[in-house]
Amino acid sequence: MELFLYTALFAPFVGSLFAAIFGASPKTIIAGIIPSILLGVSLLSSTVLLVHVLSTGEAVHVEMMTWMHTGNLYIPFGFLVDQVSVTMMMVVTVVSTVVHVYAIGYMSHDKAFNRFFAWLSAFVFSMMILVMSDNFAGLFIGWEGVGVCSWALIGFWYHKESATWAANEAFIMNRIADLGMLIGIFLVYWNTGTLQYHEAFEAMKHLDTGILTTIGIFLFIGAMGKSAQFPLHTWLADAMEGPTPVSALIHAATMVTAGVYLVVRSNELYSLIPNVGLFIASLGAFVAVFAATMALVNRDIKRVIAYSTLSQLGYMFAAAGLGAYWVALFHLMAHAFFKALLFLGGGNVMHAMSDELDPFKMGGLGKTMKATMILMTLASVALAGLFPLAGFFSKDMILEAAFSEHHFIIYTVLLFTAGLTAFYSFRIIALIFHGEDRHTALGFHPHEAYPFMIKAMIPLAILAAIAGFARPYYFDMVIAVLPETEYHIHSAMTYWTMTIGTQLFVIAAIYFAYKKYMSSDIKVPDGTSEMENSFKYKLLINQYYIPYFYEEFLVKPYRALSRVFWKDIDMKIVDGTVDGIANIIYNTGENTRGMQSGNLSTMLKWMVAGLVILLSLAVIFGLTVKYSGV
Amino acid sequence: MEIGLSHYLVLSTILFAIGLVGVMKRKNLLLLFFSTEILLNSVNIAFAAISHYYGDLTGQMFAFFVIAIAASEVAVGLGLLIVWHKRHNNIDLDTMSSMKG
Amino acid sequence: MFDHILSILIFFPALAALFGVVVDKDSIRAYGLSVAVVEFALSLMLWFGFDASVSGMQFMEQVSLIPAFGVNYIVGVDGISLFIIVLAAFFTMIGIASLTDTKNVKNMIITLLMLQMTMAGVFAALDAILFYVFWELSLVPMLYIIGAWGGPLRVYASIKFFLYTFTGSLVMLVGMLFMAYFYFQATGVWSFAILDWYRLILPQSYQLWLFAAFFMGFAIKVPMFPFHTWLPYAHGQAPTIGSVMLAAILLKMGTYAFIRFSLPLFPDASVFFMFPVAIIAVIMIIYTAMVAYAQEDVKQVVAYSSVSHMGVIVLGTFAMNVEGISGSIFLMIAHGVVSGALFLLVGVIYDRRHTKMMDQFGGLASVMPRYATIFGLMLMASVGLPLTINFVGEFLSLLGFYEQSHIITLLAGIAIIVGAIYMLSAYKKMFFGEVTREENKNLPDVNKRELLALIPLAIITVWLGIYPKPVLEPINNSVEAVVQLMHDKAITPEAKSAIPSVIKKDETSTQEAH
Repeated sequence: MELFLYTALFAPFVGSLFAAIFGASPKTIIAGIIPSILLGVSLLSSTVLLVHVLSTGEAVHVEMMTWMHTGNLYIPFGFLVDQVSVTMMMVVTVVSTVVHVYAIGYMSHDKAFNRFFAWLSAFVFSMMILVMSDNFAGLFIGWEGVGVCSWALIGFWYHKESATWAANEAFIMNRIADLGMLIGIFLVYWNTGTLQYHEAFEAMKHLDTGILTTIGIFLFIGAMGKSAQFPLHTWLADAMEGPTPVSALIHAATMVTAGVYLVVRSNELYSLIPNVGLFIASLGAFVAVFAATMALVNRDIKRVIAYSTLSQLGYMFAAAGLGAYWVALFHLMAHAFFKALLFLGGGNVMHAMSDELDPFKMGGLGKTMKATMILMTLASVALAGLFPLAGFFSKDMILEAAFSEHHFIIYTVLLFTAGLTAFYSFRIIALIFHGEDRHTALGFHPHEAYPFMIKAMIPLAILAAIAGFARPYYFDMVIAVLPETEYHIHSAMTYWTMTIGTQLFVIAAIYFAYKKYMSSDIKVPDGTSEMENSFKYKLLINQYYIPYFYEEFLVKPYRALSRVFWKDIDMKIVDGTVDGIANIIYNTGENTRGMQSGNLSTMLKWMVAGLVILLSLAVIFGLTVKYSGV
Repeated sequence: MEIGLSHYLVLSTILFAIGLVGVMKRKNLLLLFFSTEILLNSVNIAFAAISHYYGDLTGQMFAFFVIAIAASEVAVGLGLLIVWHKRHNNIDLDTMSSMKG
Repeated sequence: MFDHILSILIFFPALAALFGVVVDKDSIRAYGLSVAVVEFALSLMLWFGFDASVSGMQFMEQVSLIPAFGVNYIVGVDGISLFIIVLAAFFTMIGIASLTDTKNVKNMIITLLMLQMTMAGVFAALDAILFYVFWELSLVPMLYIIGAWGGPLRVYASIKFFLYTFTGSLVMLVGMLFMAYFYFQATGVWSFAILDWYRLILPQSYQLWLFAAFFMGFAIKVPMFPFHTWLPYAHGQAPTIGSVMLAAILLKMGTYAFIRFSLPLFPDASVFFMFPVAIIAVIMIIYTAMVAYAQEDVKQVVAYSSVSHMGVIVLGTFAMNVEGISGSIFLMIAHGVVSGALFLLVGVIYDRRHTKMMDQFGGLASVMPRYATIFGLMLMASVGLPLTINFVGEFLSLLGFYEQSHIITLLAGIAIIVGAIYMLSAYKKMFFGEVTREENKNLPDVNKRELLALIPLAIITVWLGIYPKPVLEPINNSVEAVVQLMHDKAITPEAKSAIPSVIKKDETSTQEAH
């Protein structure tokens, strides 16, 4: 099994290196094909591992070599494939294989085609390290690795100011969270003496709750950054500056879920500190509704999908925080499939519309882009959580978990968000594919994507459709490492009322969205309508003024303070003091050099003066000694 | 009135003061040498007097050393002075400022 | 074969520099390079001959110089100094190899070889006077490099550099003399040998004063806030090679001396001053990182980033445990490699455009992709990305200090945020965006000679980031000895508890050894 483990891990790395060799040369299609094939290899190896884990129930654990060893600290490069990590490996390899194949078409006109694949495969490699590592330090390697790849891919079109700005924002905001993570790791080390998951969690059982709470909080801060939880969420929407395959892979399916993975991985820790768990769940629920409201009005399809991702991440955290770790992981998996699909569909639309992202300028695209329309509608149905698609099973479980744990506020918030989710998803579907044709007037001539791109998306569509039915099998598998929490509403009556009620609510939201946005009087908003000038709209379109707040109260003061530190403190005060002392010495010399007039009699006079001073000092000193009684 | 140690020391001090004022005030190099001699001799008087007072010959011996060294110093000094005079035609102190800082 | 390898390492370049005077101008490059290659080979031999399992000094040599006062020529290496010596020889080699066409190449090469002698001497010296001699001598070549090949403010910068560091060193010399005097009082014998001094236990009040005296010398060299302002001038005016040597090796003299002198000689004082020093370190980390962010000149960004990173090194040093000190020594190597590479990279663009102002660039990524890639790698190493060399050192340093203080480590950890801010924004200004200036449109990418210097550095950066063991293991063994020595010597209870005993953990194995 070790062979498969290493193949799964290193195949993307080899692919990345291969593409990197062609990095500076003009587009070579092979630089896209070979990494895709290698990812397929990685997918196959992961599948073999999945079968192995499923059939034997045993985890595969290898230790490749020592990384750091000093004092009592011992960190190896160790890899662990158990029920949790194999889930993540499957998600990562499936989505990334699809995205790679898709990107061969999507990026085919880009000059930097080769560079794109080098980074994309490097990202997959980092992500594999992240999920497969058997210790916190290895997790951190992957954690930072995906951060860098994300930086490079968001800023992929580096000539665009907005793209590079977003890239730096994402990296720096993640770094803030990484500090929390690092502190969490330090705490784990100094309290348990190890960073290996297994031993550390074993040792945690004997630790004080206070310390565990601190560890839990700091690790969660790390998770908040990667998973873009409030207040570190602004980077995710800006990250949509990257190419769409990147958004699909990194900012929907894999990297942003790393935070959820961390919480699930540390379930033994979080089970011991339910208060932190409750906080995580509450924050998750808040982010779910918070992001969903911002998605309601946005006029950029990629951003809408990004907010939807944020909202779904909130769901995952809500589940994980309530102790339903396997549910969180299950939703993570289902979400990865339908959200990646949605993004890739969005990519097709974007290509068709020459990178135009405003759905109000589209309309009626369903005629020319039938396949894309079907796939995106499917993904949206899954996202909205309609039976029998994947989203229904996973989201329903989260609601059930909240309900049966008696967290009715969280339950209500999540239920309400489910309605919002359905509304905004079908808002863009309706605006893009249905209704009046508004794009021809604006000079767009849309066309469907390459057939192989559509074909590449089909596996995701199938998974998004049927993954839900795997729930019981998945449960049986994953309880080997995760707490065995099954949620059953005790009375069948309540259960059916809830499920059917939720479904009806969602369907109503979808109907409302279609009704509102398919009408023929939809126009491209020009900022004059009453709705656009309402406070609610302004608040939402400006993302609750949070980016503005960050810009005005954090970024600008930081810049100004840096300048003050440099120009005023460093140059004037610190260096001024040094130069001041030097000047005093220099001026003393300059002023006293008059003594050295070279005139013998002046010099003799100074000599006499010195003599007199010395003599008087001797006398004073002698008298002091004499009378001080020593 | 018997002449005691203090009288000698007062004399020595007066001579020293005269020499010191001479060293500071005189602009003529030759007169500077005279002043130096006065300074040295004032010290010699003090040496001799104290030596006599304590009955220790070391002081007087030292005075002889001083005289000998003063003599050689004057010899060298006057030699330099003559060279200087030959070159610059004066021995005024104010013209000698080649070591100005 | 290894009997005199250290002396050969020290004096071979000096001798070669003397012969260099008579070498013909056209062949001086080849001559200098071959000398530097031999020197580097010698340093590698030193490494291979080094027994990693021994914690004490190796390759010791002793010649008495002034027996009456116990001044001897004593040299030796342990895991702490070994790699800095190798690194110094390495940088001399690639420095000479990548030397661009400057005026007076001959003088430059001779100066570099002399500098190599002083650097090897400082890190090998085990006698305080010998150490002091090399410490001060190292100023001279640097003074000359800045003063003769520097920018428009070179005279000001070089004099500031010289006088500032020299002043600090004089205070340190006084400290050394006092230390020797105390040793004389205690034993009746004069000695300046550091290993002898290690055995002397001083009362705490003496330790405090001596610590302060040594601190002056070391802190200015490091340079620690607020004694750092000579550094931006020195870097700003120095030619590329000067900045590289200064950042990569010369700054490490200060932090190395902390570990060699301050900690083992004055354990109680070190613990006493731990928090003040740590607070200075935090100021260095955050404040200079912010100053770096405000810079307009890319070289100044790298210069201030050096100060910021040196803050982490100082913090790790004063963690007083094996993890922290090992980390700080490793970070010295790491920072040497990375900052050296960054200065070389700045030199590359300066050679092409004769300006270092960032607003003159923009969009270089499309013009010079290879350059952008290597710069990107070094940027990521500088911000402490895992699997690059810097991360290992930074992680261990911070991890070590976390045991002493959580709050200070949290503040120092801000390094990873502010570091990313200034580095990324500098990178963005230089490499991203459209190429706006005509003169940037046809810049040639890095050439072979530049790659010759940069590729090895890139390889080391990644190699030691993934597999730090060959370096970390010898460091670890020597550091364990130092920490144990400090623990044994400590007299105040606070110091005893702050400095962990290494033996305690594997008591059984030590007992078996007895």
